[in-house]
Amino acid sequence: MSTLPGGCLCGTVRFVVTERPLGVVNCHCSQCRRFHGHFGAYITVPRAAVRVESDATLTWYRSSAKAQRGFCGTCGSSLFWQGDGEALVDVAAGSLDQPTGLPTVRHIQVASKPDYYEITDDLEQFPESAPEPP
Amino acid sequence: MTGKTIWTGGCLCGGVRYEIGSRPAPVTLCHCGQCRRQHSHVGAYTGFPRDAFRMVKDETLAWYQSSDKARRGFCSRCGSGLFWDPIGEPRLDVTAGSLDEPTELHARRHIWVEFKGDYYDIGEDGLPRLTSTEHAALSQSQRSGT
Repeated sequence: MSTLPGGCLCGTVRFVVTERPLGVVNCHCSQCRRFHGHFGAYITVPRAAVRVESDATLTWYRSSAKAQRGFCGTCGSSLFWQGDGEALVDVAAGSLDQPTGLPTVRHIQVASKPDYYEITDDLEQFPESAPEPP
Repeated sequence: MTGKTIWTGGCLCGGVRYEIGSRPAPVTLCHCGQCRRQHSHVGAYTGFPRDAFRMVKDETLAWYQSSDKARRGFCSRCGSGLFWDPIGEPRLDVTAGSLDEPTELHARRHIWVEFKGDYYDIGEDGLPRLTSTEHAALSQSQRSGT
């Protein structure tokens, strides 16, 4: 389980994450909520650690002045968050093949959490962004 | 519960917008492998009768036939996950995260829990946890009115 292969629902986008992060971060911001249809769950790794093997249907949407979100144009799977000019990229945890062997480690943007669910675990919470990736 | 009578929602870029004219069901949290891939985490859905639904704007709406029983609707411009459409059923599901706030809804149960991803725990939220078999039995009893 040294690398983390992953991809979209229809299998057209496939990639391998070659560097293991410490864990998954749940993001409760309103953009993640719309994009994923619920809160976002991401690992953060160096861009160079994501080796894309198949990306014919990978589509990018400029979701803010400083970032883009990547998804599969065929099946709609929500895959990446990429900050402009950043050396790191966020890969959505659910796109990783099972088993991942990763833990979830924290919640961020909890001040933006919507009303229809509660956070009931005892992981660390940040009202907005965290100072740095885990 | 307040006097809210219309629930509105849509995608991140605004290319798809909809209205629901009756109170949607409480939210079901789905841990199946398809939801995990498409939403890249847990699926959160609320359902309602199809005749309560009105599409306001769908210029960027795309559909993916995810099984022989259902298709999934998403925005082709921003990638937002929006609909789970069980073919031929009287109800339609939308993602809870696509609803405008406040939703005035709450989570009701977890389903397909045996397919949960290994990277998270469901947590002690007190909600019922149904396997895919138990969920199929519940859906069948609801369809037959028992």
